Amino acid sequence: MIRYFARRAGHGFLMLFGVSILLFLLFQTAPGDFLSEIKMNSQISPETITMLRAQYGLDQPLPVRYWQWLKSSARGDFGYSFAYNTPASTLLWPRASNTLLLSVPALLISWLIAVPLGVLAAGWKGRWADRLFSGGTSALLALPDVLIALLALLVALKTGMFPVGGMTSINAQDQSTWAWLRDLGWHMLLPVAALVVGSLTIILRHVRASVIEVLESSYMRAAEGHGLPRFKLLFGYALPAAANPLISLFGLSVAMLLSVSLLIEVVMSWPGIGPLLLEAILARDLFVVIGAVMLSTVFLIAGNLLGDVLLYAFDPRIRRQA
Amino acid sequence: MKARLIKLARLVERSPQKAGVGGSLRPKLTSFTFTWALWFLLAVHLVIVLAGFIAPYSFETQEREHPYAPPTHLHFVDCARKFHFRPFVYVTKAAENGLNDYQQDCSRPAGIEFFPQGDRYTIFGMFSSTRHLFGVQTPANLFLMGTDGFGRDQFSRLLYGGQVSLFAGFVAAAFSTFTGLLLGGIAGMYGGRLDDAAMRFAEVFITIPWFYLLIAVRAFLPLQISPVTAFLLVVSVIGIVGWSRPARLVRGVILSARERNFVLAARGFGASNAYLLRRHLMPLTFRVLLTQMVVLIPQFILAEVILSFLGLGIGEPFPSWGNMLAQAQQYHVLVSYWWMLLPGLAPVPVFLAYHSLAETLQERIKSNI
Amino acid sequence: MTSGNLGLPKPEPLLRVSALSVDYDAAGGDAVRAVRNLDLEIAGGESVGVLGESGSGKSSLALALMRLLPKNARVASGSIEFHGQSVLGLSPARLRELRGGEVALISQEPALALNPVLSLGKQLADLLVAHAKLARQQVNVRCTEMLRHVGFTDPERILGAYPHELSGGQRQRVAIAQALICRPNLLIADEPLSALDVATQAEILDLLQRLKRDLGLAMLFITHNAGALASLADNIVVMREGETVARGPMGELQATRDDYVQGILFPEKSLANAAHTAPSIESCAPLLEVRGLSKRFVQKRMLSRKEFVVQSLDGIDLSLSAGSTVAVLGRSGSGKSTLARCIAGFETADAGEILLDGNLITTAEKNKGGVLPPVQMIFQDAATSLNPRFTAQQIVTEPLEIARWKTEAERTSRALKLMEEVGLDPDWALRLAGEFSGGQRQRLALARALAAEPKLLIMDEALSGLDMPLQAQMVRLLMDLQSRHGLTYLYISHDLNFISLFAQEVVVMDAGRIVERTTPEKLGQSVHPATRELVEAGERLHAPGVEAAV
Repeated sequence: MIRYFARRAGHGFLMLFGVSILLFLLFQTAPGDFLSEIKMNSQISPETITMLRAQYGLDQPLPVRYWQWLKSSARGDFGYSFAYNTPASTLLWPRASNTLLLSVPALLISWLIAVPLGVLAAGWKGRWADRLFSGGTSALLALPDVLIALLALLVALKTGMFPVGGMTSINAQDQSTWAWLRDLGWHMLLPVAALVVGSLTIILRHVRASVIEVLESSYMRAAEGHGLPRFKLLFGYALPAAANPLISLFGLSVAMLLSVSLLIEVVMSWPGIGPLLLEAILARDLFVVIGAVMLSTVFLIAGNLLGDVLLYAFDPRIRRQA
Repeated sequence: MKARLIKLARLVERSPQKAGVGGSLRPKLTSFTFTWALWFLLAVHLVIVLAGFIAPYSFETQEREHPYAPPTHLHFVDCARKFHFRPFVYVTKAAENGLNDYQQDCSRPAGIEFFPQGDRYTIFGMFSSTRHLFGVQTPANLFLMGTDGFGRDQFSRLLYGGQVSLFAGFVAAAFSTFTGLLLGGIAGMYGGRLDDAAMRFAEVFITIPWFYLLIAVRAFLPLQISPVTAFLLVVSVIGIVGWSRPARLVRGVILSARERNFVLAARGFGASNAYLLRRHLMPLTFRVLLTQMVVLIPQFILAEVILSFLGLGIGEPFPSWGNMLAQAQQYHVLVSYWWMLLPGLAPVPVFLAYHSLAETLQERIKSNI
Repeated sequence: MTSGNLGLPKPEPLLRVSALSVDYDAAGGDAVRAVRNLDLEIAGGESVGVLGESGSGKSSLALALMRLLPKNARVASGSIEFHGQSVLGLSPARLRELRGGEVALISQEPALALNPVLSLGKQLADLLVAHAKLARQQVNVRCTEMLRHVGFTDPERILGAYPHELSGGQRQRVAIAQALICRPNLLIADEPLSALDVATQAEILDLLQRLKRDLGLAMLFITHNAGALASLADNIVVMREGETVARGPMGELQATRDDYVQGILFPEKSLANAAHTAPSIESCAPLLEVRGLSKRFVQKRMLSRKEFVVQSLDGIDLSLSAGSTVAVLGRSGSGKSTLARCIAGFETADAGEILLDGNLITTAEKNKGGVLPPVQMIFQDAATSLNPRFTAQQIVTEPLEIARWKTEAERTSRALKLMEEVGLDPDWALRLAGEFSGGQRQRLALARALAAEPKLLIMDEALSGLDMPLQAQMVRLLMDLQSRHGLTYLYISHDLNFISLFAQEVVVMDAGRIVERTTPEKLGQSVHPATRELVEAGERLHAPGVEAAV
């Protein structure tokens, strides 16, 4: 069993390396010097640029640069931010935890709603409830995430019940821990809701589709033929059998959620990785860009690993192979 | 299609042995929503292509006196309660309160004219004209969807913006599908080391969350570029980033098809790889690819919208649904000027249509293979 | 089993079906009637067999009895009564009690009847929980007891095991245990044997006989194999295209004159009629010579050091005379398919050589044009060996097209001629392969193979998927073609009885080796264990009144 996980983790690690190499290659093949655009920024002097260029070996061949970045990462710095004059990691870590603060609850809530609802919806197939369900989810699915984010902001602005963007209120520091937590929760409500709305429908449809496929298999008909009650059939027999495709879906849903969260964070001014990435791009802050993308990849790989753990726990066929 | 169904029915009658009762059941091959969706999409694309003609204004024309004007009211009954057949609008004037309120002037009606002269436009860069489908004479304005902060007609910009967003998505999807076909086909056909390497490569792409990858790739390219270059850039970026899913799909189909007995049999007759690809494998992948493309197009349209929204795509003054929506990010706009959100709703029917096409295609594939 | 002789009133039958009709919805709005006006009665403890070919409606009958028909089917008319109560009018709650509690169904694919992610113990226990109110302790005891009853010596292990850990035969036993655990009065078995290999079929048949005896179980046994019913059924109903064509005990049926019934009961006879005289061996020089053929398969998992080596072929020597029909017999895994594929050129052996007419055969290479390969193969599953999107004409001309043989017009006319020869209507040349039935597809595959003018035709279980009457037709056809074209046949199978009528020589394989070479007549007297196993299994599946040609 340990070997199974070690293998999966090792695979993930390899992927991380691959991703970092890909990013560096992209940087290499991009036309124009990355720093040439900074030259237009009057706040940065030409001397700084030459110094940066030399310091980070930007005039050196790619493998050397990559190696230097690796060393810096091993040190915990992950490169250097030109815009803020500080190691990239000091910017990345706090933002990372903020993103997690949004994504993890959204992920949990989405799945907690999607699974039971999807299973029930699969059971309705062919009836009018199913049509309603399909129509509703189709409509929601077609809504662009951008619009959802803007609508969430609109709700905050119009009703005044929610804070309009941001993560904390101005006087956050002065409050007790409990009050601070409450304040945080209040700020989290809308962004998390927007995230859930954006990702729920896709997960829901996939759950329904997977369960429907299971319901059409002969062992389900056999189980029905043995006179098992409907609830048990759906949740005790169909759902565990559908666990395999669903758990694979889990990894994909993490990917999707992270992508959507980027947008929500930007629109609702939540200080996560998203806004940082955007800012870094506009400021041509190379290492922060690479760091932010790597970080999101780490989350995705972690999500997939979690999926592997769940798969192991739920599917005896995987246990046998491992 | 119908002829084949008739033949099938005759076959079932004639054959001495019905293939069990399962054989006589075929799901309905075309559904109502499929045809509706197809026609709708064709109509939308036609309208978009003819944007210059259909839109009353060009995308740059600014009406300085009317920033953030709400959608113009169309009337059939005038202030004196008289009914007119031809719809008309009233000339509006900004109120003095400086709050972007506009009042209608009952004394100055203006009928909607058909085929009036207006701003010059070109279609496909070839055909140029000044005649529009409908419009009103100045000083009246026909802002069907209101104006933005520069007084530009949102309806016209929506149509022009559609050109960018819809075609960017379409071209990017074609690009990505084609690349996927090429790489996936080679990987599936020749297998071995090549296949392994290609799949590892594809996996790296898939491991990065979609938008992050998109933005990162865009990030490494120059930011200040001309609109035309921007369009090409956006399309290429989206297309390149999205190659891995089609590639895996194609590879999967080819791998499984390769092992099918009819391919083996053909090999037994001495068929070359080229023959197998041409006669057996490509037709199989074609359907899968078509479905894949239909699934990708809405995703890629969305990608363009988001890129432009974030300022990384098409820039001013060219409209794209994304950069039009970006203006709504400002709080005062969001709260007071609801029509600025309409570009966000524009993709919805298009997505719905593409989704229903994709669903039908996917079901067809499942019931056939 | 009736008590009519004693002057007592006949007891209420357990199951009574009257004038039952089942319809399926077809494309175009018409309904297809799968079962017509069926009458059936089963008394307590009686077993009734339903005999018929595929498409005769027998499965629909089984499903209708349990109200498990798919969404596009329904009972059009008639009634089903269990213990005097109408099944069709039951409330959902009462229906649930009935299913599993009083009537149970086992079906064809044992692997697919068991949920792959739940332990077998759970799948058994859940049934007890649903139908009987038992304490946890008692549930375990009942499950263990039931598993022992169906023949497991280690029930505790089975309780904790998962379906994929068991063999097909074991899974069918568990499925039977599942069906019987709530002590139903009636067991409906829908083709429970067809998905199993010959030896296992015999075992399961034994089990069912034992259960019938020990538990006094009433059974409805549905099959196309008359032999299985001989030992099991008190009464038999023969169905054809949804209608009942005969009923009565086995003895009565065997004596009828009806051709169709005779055809179903004694398929071997029609086969024997078909396989009249095998053509005599003409030349002495062998057409095919195999010397010392060996092949092994290595399975290695990524990143693991373990390797699984399977010695599929181990020094095979074989020779075939031109114009003969040789059968290769063996259990699954004996290497017979691998041998076929090597001879056909789909695989390369590790060692040894294959000579056809004195020329060495290598793996089929790109056809440089004009050369038609002399060895052709016909696969078991006709459906997958033809591209469903090709027309019949395209399929038959494919080998000619690849070899760039003559012109397109000539290819087409040859294809049409071949289609006629194999018994297909040339008018159907432009139909898609997917529209043909199973038997017709096999004929198409045959026509395609013939197009290449082969000298040797290898058939890998090519006829096992077909019903007996169809098999008889195909054998007739094959014999015809053999005498006309001077073909040599190599037929791979595990079905003894079929081979014995068709082949002149039988080669038995076991674990990659040829263990015996004999004639069909002498097969029954063989002493080799592998052969005996196959012979005995074959015998168990046949009615005692029928002389198997073995």
